[in-house]
Amino acid sequence: MGGVIPIPKAFLDITGDVCPLTFVKTKLRLEELAPGDVLEVRLQGPEPLQNVPRSAKEEGHRVLAVKHEGACYHLFIQKGEQS
Amino acid sequence: MTTAYHELEKGGFIKQKQKDRYCMRLRTIGGNLSVEQLAGIIELAGKYGQGQVHLTTRQGMEIPGVAFQDYRDISRELKKLDLLPGTCGPRVRAVLACAGPDTCGHALTGVRPLVESLDARFFAREAPNKVKIGVSGCPNSCSKPQENDIGLVGAVEPQFESGRCAGCGLCVEVCPTGALVLAGGRPRIDRERCLNEGDCIAGCPTDAWRAGRVGYHLYLGGKVGRFPAPGRKVASFLTAGEIPEIVEQVLAVYSARARGSERIGDVMARLGSAWDAALKDSEGGGNEWAV
Repeated sequence: MGGVIPIPKAFLDITGDVCPLTFVKTKLRLEELAPGDVLEVRLQGPEPLQNVPRSAKEEGHRVLAVKHEGACYHLFIQKGEQS
Repeated sequence: MTTAYHELEKGGFIKQKQKDRYCMRLRTIGGNLSVEQLAGIIELAGKYGQGQVHLTTRQGMEIPGVAFQDYRDISRELKKLDLLPGTCGPRVRAVLACAGPDTCGHALTGVRPLVESLDARFFAREAPNKVKIGVSGCPNSCSKPQENDIGLVGAVEPQFESGRCAGCGLCVEVCPTGALVLAGGRPRIDRERCLNEGDCIAGCPTDAWRAGRVGYHLYLGGKVGRFPAPGRKVASFLTAGEIPEIVEQVLAVYSARARGSERIGDVMARLGSAWDAALKDSEGGGNEWAV
């Protein structure tokens, strides 16, 4: 982190979703991308913030950066090689 | 016949209110059964019972409606399937456990090896009253260890590596107790408030939060029943290897100090600080009991 974040290939807004759809949607969107591609995910509230980054890491992706934007967070997730 | 009588004494064959009908109680290790065992239970419930099973609150299974004279036959068949008899009465009961790390991403500890070792050493041991042991792999406490006389809760101590931190603040946001605050672009931790659930470690994008000590918090004296009360935390970060010996000491102090049929929590409430002192004496002061 701290370096330049690659331009996201895709954007996903899950601010209107609740568990378990928050990660399911993230996972499905990541599946459409190629390894190394970056997905920007906009989320809100403690539950997705707790589950989406940890689940992404568990499934072999990298969370490159996290940015605040008002009440929302933007995660920049890079799709892993094996995923 | 001697074996059968010995098993009967442990109380896993429970008299029903119907005349000459008994309930065959089985225990599991943390709620796990193979499909072969399940198929065997189905068959035996039809053959000896009334075509039904009952799921117990402690992850066991009961076959109701068994005739007293069938006890030896059904026991022999259950043994062939490696099914384990349950117990009742003033004894150490089946150890309750969460799903653990085989399937759950939250589990911090192994769970099952500890459950197996506790079951092997303590199951059905006689005590002044029932002793329930519960194990959970993380502070989410899905198996409710704090409701047990002896509760073990998986825990991790977060360690911070400042050089890896990007100052994103995600850990501060996900911390369930507000133990983390951002100060000068870096998180600062209040160890007193830390729940040791590891959300900061799991979520950190740069692995600046890492696992330090991993082990079990020990809770004693929990119960539900007519007068529910949660257990009290008495030790932190115990390893799975040292826990059986500690449980041994707890049971020894409990047996020595209980009046009548008091549960562990009743003895603790009556003795107050003398309970903690007795535990310390029992293990020679080698462990840190106070949290």
